[in-house]
Amino acid sequence: MSEYVVEMRDIVKTFGEVQAVKHGEFTLKKGEIHSLIGENGAGKSTMMKLLYGMYPIDSGEIIVKGEKMGVLDPKIAINHGIGMVHQEFMLVNELTVLENIILGFEPKKGFTIDFDQARKEVQRYIDEYDMEVQLDKKISQISVGEAQRVEIIKTLMRGADVIILDEPTAVLTPQEAKRLFEILNNLKEGGKSLVFISHKLNEVMEISDRISVMRQGNYMGTVEKAETSPLDLTKRMIGREVFLDIDKSYGKAGDTILEVKDIWVPSGKETSKIRGMSLSVREGEIVGIAGIDGNGQSELIEAITGLRHVEKGSVIINGKDVTNLSPRKVRAAGLAHIPEDRNRMGLNRSLSIVDNLIAVRLDEPPFTKGKLLNKKDQDSYAEEMVKQFDIRPTDYNLPTSALSGGNAQKVVVAREVSMKKKLLVASQPTRGVDIGAIELIRNTLEKAKKEGAGVLLVSAELEEIISLSDRIIVIHEGKITGEMLASEANENNLGLLMMGGEQKRKESEAAV
Amino acid sequence: MSKAKEGFLRVILTMAVALAIGALLIIAIGENPIDAYGALLNGAFNGKFRLGTTLAGFTPLLLTSIAFAIAAKAGAFNVGVEGEVFLGGIVAAYIGINWTFLPKPLLIIACFVGAMVVAALWAFIPAALRAFYNVSEVCTTILMNTVALHITSYLVSGPMSAGTANPQTAPVTVTLYQFMKPSSANVGMFIAIIAVIAVIFMLYKTSWGYKIRTVGGNPNHADYVGISSKKVFIGAMMLSGALGGMAGCIEVLGVHGYFLNNFATGLGSNGMLAALIVKNNMFATPFMAFFLAVLSAGGMGMQQMTGVPKALVDTIAAVFIIIATMETLFTFKKRRDIRVAEKKKKEGQS
Repeated sequence: MSEYVVEMRDIVKTFGEVQAVKHGEFTLKKGEIHSLIGENGAGKSTMMKLLYGMYPIDSGEIIVKGEKMGVLDPKIAINHGIGMVHQEFMLVNELTVLENIILGFEPKKGFTIDFDQARKEVQRYIDEYDMEVQLDKKISQISVGEAQRVEIIKTLMRGADVIILDEPTAVLTPQEAKRLFEILNNLKEGGKSLVFISHKLNEVMEISDRISVMRQGNYMGTVEKAETSPLDLTKRMIGREVFLDIDKSYGKAGDTILEVKDIWVPSGKETSKIRGMSLSVREGEIVGIAGIDGNGQSELIEAITGLRHVEKGSVIINGKDVTNLSPRKVRAAGLAHIPEDRNRMGLNRSLSIVDNLIAVRLDEPPFTKGKLLNKKDQDSYAEEMVKQFDIRPTDYNLPTSALSGGNAQKVVVAREVSMKKKLLVASQPTRGVDIGAIELIRNTLEKAKKEGAGVLLVSAELEEIISLSDRIIVIHEGKITGEMLASEANENNLGLLMMGGEQKRKESEAAV
Repeated sequence: MSKAKEGFLRVILTMAVALAIGALLIIAIGENPIDAYGALLNGAFNGKFRLGTTLAGFTPLLLTSIAFAIAAKAGAFNVGVEGEVFLGGIVAAYIGINWTFLPKPLLIIACFVGAMVVAALWAFIPAALRAFYNVSEVCTTILMNTVALHITSYLVSGPMSAGTANPQTAPVTVTLYQFMKPSSANVGMFIAIIAVIAVIFMLYKTSWGYKIRTVGGNPNHADYVGISSKKVFIGAMMLSGALGGMAGCIEVLGVHGYFLNNFATGLGSNGMLAALIVKNNMFATPFMAFFLAVLSAGGMGMQQMTGVPKALVDTIAAVFIIIATMETLFTFKKRRDIRVAEKKKKEGQS
């Protein structure tokens, strides 16, 4: 038997007209943490989904523990000891943690489920790898980090000794991520082999034994962690050096462009209702909103942009009260908006790039003359945007559904930023896009600020918030728990506030 | 590949496969498929009367299929076109009989406008219910079809009855010129074709059409960029209704000359069929409508000339639907791409 528990050789996978994996290679040694990195659309998630049997491979071979696999499906993969923790958790919200873990594998006692036996088995894993979870809470009542631990236990219960984690830290606070890494190390010491998919290089450098890089569906090589550096990895990932560190300008912030006064906004979820929030953004500054996903960020943005009803309080843009006006009128007051979800909201995926670029300027000459669409001027505008924002492929008549995440997001950013409105609301502008696009988008936001726009930035990436913002506002469960200058902020003090640490800080201040 | 080309190719391929399956069925009942299809074509095209009948059947289908498709472009599933045809017909009949104070050209225009406005308002009801209260337009339009049918049934049996044995109205005082007598093909066909071209132009060349495509593609996106998805949805449904009303008007003024009870039964659903088979492709829908018209007009001839029952035509139409929903049948292109890629890779290795 070879030294590898998993070998994937010469993998090819095509979806429709898109070649997700052109040439994939991957090997996993027993008891290692092997990171698979690459930009979005590089094929890393696809590679692992192929291993887990979610799609069949077009060609190539997959060898698990010396046995060449034929047609794989998740059930066969599980039987061979492969488990996967997906980006979106596959948990039933209304069942308890214990019920979720044993779902489909329930130990039986006659006709009933043997919960005592199940509890004993689960407890063994909890103790062995030091993963606290509350077995009797419902999934809807536990935190994201805990839900992730539940997913890991689920794979263990099904006998996995190869565990694939697909971007596991994307949904975690820095503190939770640290906790996850401890568990991963415990699992490794327990002899499990782990695949860690990520595009965050600092995490990869912290946790991995070996690192494999993919670029545009191709395998770019594997390195030992000790022999590489973040810089080297970046070069391998995108084929050139990138500069994510923004050369931040400290301009003079001008007049107030956005004022939110004590707004209350309803939401389906208890933690994301906005309960009395006030903030302001001035021209020429970037204000960052930090917070764990689902603590009212989306509701705040939708309330400002006219997409969600405000119960109480007011939103003032450019001196005009726009509370509960239609999105059209709010935009007319001076708003440009990069929404958090480009597929749900930012784009019409069935229409072309040029159609999407003119979506907000539809009734503006020269893009329409009377009611007729003016294709010629639309085309020259699209050509300019494609060039300026480096949108690839450059054929602007392609439907946006054919674009990768990064390029699709560039279409949204190009459309909104080129309006040169006084207020730019950017919600998760770099979520799920590749490093090249991150660099471009961050520079674009910085440029908009330099040109005098006020920018309200919401991001799940603390590093992004810190590096771009002038001021940072932290929210937790629909309330502001703190505000500070970006120069004072770091992952620790923000992280504490993100978890609702306002009281703690006050207490400590009182103690001093 | 352009949308028009793709749509056309799809129609041709679907037709071929459906006809082939039909041929197998014909063989199964012991007849010669070539003879049967020959009789079908003969019945649909040979001679002024037969061709005219086919064209007369094509006209309402063209309008109802485009009516369904345009609503679908805004994300609506408008089953209510049939009811709109009925209402358009009865309004056209009422105006055509009673507004004799108008000079004839104006009276024709009044018939069309009246039929389209009433049908559009009828479509407004399910559209608004859907837009503001999220009531499924599929349910409401199905129900409202029955209501529309019964309203017109009542009117032609009672207040507007001509007093004949059949429930029908008195003849209208203006008619559309029938150019292929003795068939009932009439200039309404050209009006319908112009209307369809106008609708397609509107959809792809104007900002209003852009809004419809945006709302149909992603209503969240529409609202986000400042296009009111509710207003556009309602507008598209009303346009759909107006086209249905136009079909009713043409049937009454051009084909029958009076409102005949139940005259539009099947017109809405067959139009829907034509649009669904080509997935609401605006360029392919008219061809599909024509093909269905040929099938149903030729079916009678086939039954008379050979032993193949007319019901076979319905079977072919049903096979159509099944094929049309089998997306993967026409994915030759994708497979070819994969083969090319593999070949390239092998060359790269050697």
